[in-house]
Amino acid sequence: MKPFAARLVFPVVLHTIAAQAGGAAADFRNIAAQAGLTRSFPNGGISAKQYIIETTGSGIAFLDYDNDGFPDLFVVSGDGAPSRLYHNNGKGKFDDVTAGSGITAKGWGQGVCVGDYDNDGFTDILVTYWGQNVLYRNVSGKRFEDVTARAQLTQPGTRYNTGCAMLDYNRDGHLDLFIANYLQFEFGVTPKPGANPYCYYRGIPVSCGPRGLPFASNLLYRSNGDGTFTDVSDSSGISAPKRSYCLGAVTGDFNRDGWPDIFVACDQTPSLLFINQKDGTFSEEALLRGVALDQDGKAVSGMGAAAGDYDGDGWLDLFRTNFSDERETLYRNRGGGEFDEATTAAGLARNTRYVGWGCGFFDFDNDGWSDLFLVNGHVFPEVDRLKIDIHNAQRGILYRNLGNGTFEDISEKAGPGVLEPHVSRGAAFGDFDNDGAIEIAINNQNETPAFLKNFRRSPGNWILLKLQGTRSNRSAIGAQVRVTAGGRTQIDEVRSGGSYLSQNDLRLHFGLAAAAIIDSVEILWPSGTKQIERGLAVNRVITIREKL
Amino acid sequence: MRVIKLLILAAAFLSAQSDPLVDGLRQFDKGDYHAAESSLSKAGNDPRARGFLALARAALGRCPDAVGELQLQFDKADDKELSRLAGLGLARCRAAISTDAALPVLAQLRSRFPDDADVLYESARVYMRAWNEVVYAMFQKTPSSFRVNQMSAEVFETQSNYRQAIAEYQNAIAKSPRALNLHFRLGRALLMDSHEPRTLDQALKEFRSELELNPSDAAAEYQVGQVLVAQQKQQEARPHYEMALAFTPDFAEALIALARIDLSLRDYPGAIARLERAVQLRPASESAHYSLMLAYRNAGRLTDAKREQAELEKITKPPEGEFTNFLKKLGNKPSTEKPPQP
Repeated sequence: MKPFAARLVFPVVLHTIAAQAGGAAADFRNIAAQAGLTRSFPNGGISAKQYIIETTGSGIAFLDYDNDGFPDLFVVSGDGAPSRLYHNNGKGKFDDVTAGSGITAKGWGQGVCVGDYDNDGFTDILVTYWGQNVLYRNVSGKRFEDVTARAQLTQPGTRYNTGCAMLDYNRDGHLDLFIANYLQFEFGVTPKPGANPYCYYRGIPVSCGPRGLPFASNLLYRSNGDGTFTDVSDSSGISAPKRSYCLGAVTGDFNRDGWPDIFVACDQTPSLLFINQKDGTFSEEALLRGVALDQDGKAVSGMGAAAGDYDGDGWLDLFRTNFSDERETLYRNRGGGEFDEATTAAGLARNTRYVGWGCGFFDFDNDGWSDLFLVNGHVFPEVDRLKIDIHNAQRGILYRNLGNGTFEDISEKAGPGVLEPHVSRGAAFGDFDNDGAIEIAINNQNETPAFLKNFRRSPGNWILLKLQGTRSNRSAIGAQVRVTAGGRTQIDEVRSGGSYLSQNDLRLHFGLAAAAIIDSVEILWPSGTKQIERGLAVNRVITIREKL
Repeated sequence: MRVIKLLILAAAFLSAQSDPLVDGLRQFDKGDYHAAESSLSKAGNDPRARGFLALARAALGRCPDAVGELQLQFDKADDKELSRLAGLGLARCRAAISTDAALPVLAQLRSRFPDDADVLYESARVYMRAWNEVVYAMFQKTPSSFRVNQMSAEVFETQSNYRQAIAEYQNAIAKSPRALNLHFRLGRALLMDSHEPRTLDQALKEFRSELELNPSDAAAEYQVGQVLVAQQKQQEARPHYEMALAFTPDFAEALIALARIDLSLRDYPGAIARLERAVQLRPASESAHYSLMLAYRNAGRLTDAKREQAELEKITKPPEGEFTNFLKKLGNKPSTEKPPQP
């Protein structure tokens, strides 16, 4: 017999057979130009990149800053241009209202997350930077003011801040801030392409890192309830893990104990899961809970993350986007916040040529099951020189949830918008025209954003829930919702941040299939209040205010 | 060459006047081997003078005049640096005659200086030359053999040029359809070359062809199982892993693969039994420890799970100093030192 052990040098590249299915499942088209998104956003080199700062790109956010019922758009820019605020005019178009809006900061913008941190009824914006983060306070829905210094968020040195989320981790009714940090980077100090073995990709010199570059730690700011924050990164345990390169962050009550937890996707290092200890501290438990590594016990290149109950068992599952030659990772919550990897079993292991970033669970066809979309794009433009089947600009991937714990990759029959190649990073999900079909806003490097709208109308019913906290934080971030209709119960949470450095519409969308009436909407508010609304009509936006 | 500089300083300190030893060492350090040879030959019987004289002669290609002294200095361990340099010089002189003659010297050097970059470099250079000589002979003497194609394919694989590797494996198979290991390697190269899901079927066909030639090939059985799992045919994969284990009972990867199927079926005791054995067989396997940790956890054996977690953290910890050393180097200027000159 042959010596076999030496012959197992190369891993099997995991793929799955494409499910055969006929007919167009969706018709996503990029309507960015028609929607008024015509400006390009710079983000590092186009054909080559010198530094890692040029690779991580930026996020994008849906937010209704003027409370007119239509989600507006905020696009984060890399160095060379300001981030921009677009107002949704309610007629299918965004107007660029950046000038005079008070959105002025420039630099290497990374992430964005929103929430009403001062509970004044208007959604505020946090933008993370390599450099200094900026907190924009929304002034009566008319303009924004930079309150970073006043809020005591000035950072003493340059930090590579990335994903962020507002969350009320101590449930005091005031939103706190979590900010992931990638690594320590400095122009002139960080080596250039080819400088050492960490600066090559498949034999070609590329921007260095993250391996070989020094780690940074994540940040948590506790709200003092008066518009200022205190850095509690150390005392809360958030800064303790110092061996991970952190990017996308997503919050959720993964163990259903009523307290928000934080998952952070980390690049080439173990991802992190901070479990809320209900006493102002967190315990990092990703490894034992099964979400730090892939099923082979290896750290992968985590970029973005999404939380959703894809199998309808009432527990939030996790999805993470990774690098090319790796599989995306789907972690199924087996209950209690313990996870098993379900990537291959769920049919998601088929796409290994893409570098994934923004992602989200959303029900594009309103059948009551959360589908999955992710955007892609390589970090090394130089990859195109290799003439292999991995390219710099890459298309998106749409997986349809089949309702049996598996997904079908329908990307190639989901419309031209999904198939357009871009170097994408952030992706945000929201219903910008309130028609029950979710749109996707995508931040592409050195291009105009993409804005995908599904032109195939689903016969399924739907509901959009806008929650308003009273005892809880005004944005109702952290509110857990159970919608029962047509014999099924679905769950979700109001969430700030998520995807890749991005922000989804704070309103919750549920597809209801054929259900003509909603039996109940149960809300567990962050304050602990339980509220049930019964007999709600479908196909509309409903605002629910927390009962005192 | 810091050591040579120290020797020069020490010799200069002892002799205020012009000294052939000091001059010779300085000239050697500058790479002026002709002048060094001239000076050192006048430096008397000082062992350092003799050693560096031999090194200078070796550098000038006058190996027959040098090897005796180099061997002497190499065998003497009292001056470690001189011994190291003499060993390197000796290896080069021997390699000039024949590659094979240099190998015993290099083996000794690696045993005495296992972390020395010059020693490792010289070894790599000589082994590469040996490899080149053999491959050249194979291409010259048996150009139409399937082995030439197989060798070419393996080289292309190491260069990540899987497309060319595939073509060469296919050529080799065409020439020698019953040769073992070709279909297996082709299957793996196919998987490495393409990210297309249909590649799985092509690779599966090759692994099965390998099994037709060698029905007791555990590795091929295992790969068939891996492809089937990737195709979401977990239950079809199971007998292939079992077969791989039947052929090779210590096949840790097959144990892990079977345990994962057990885990998905919630057969935690079954999974734990296999994984405990896998960990025994491969104590450094991240995959084995990780799977065992999760199996214990799912079985409710939290103490055992935490013990495995600790093991996993121990083996996955980056090598000590990986990052700090690298960072220190960031502040260094490019080295202006000359490479060691035997």
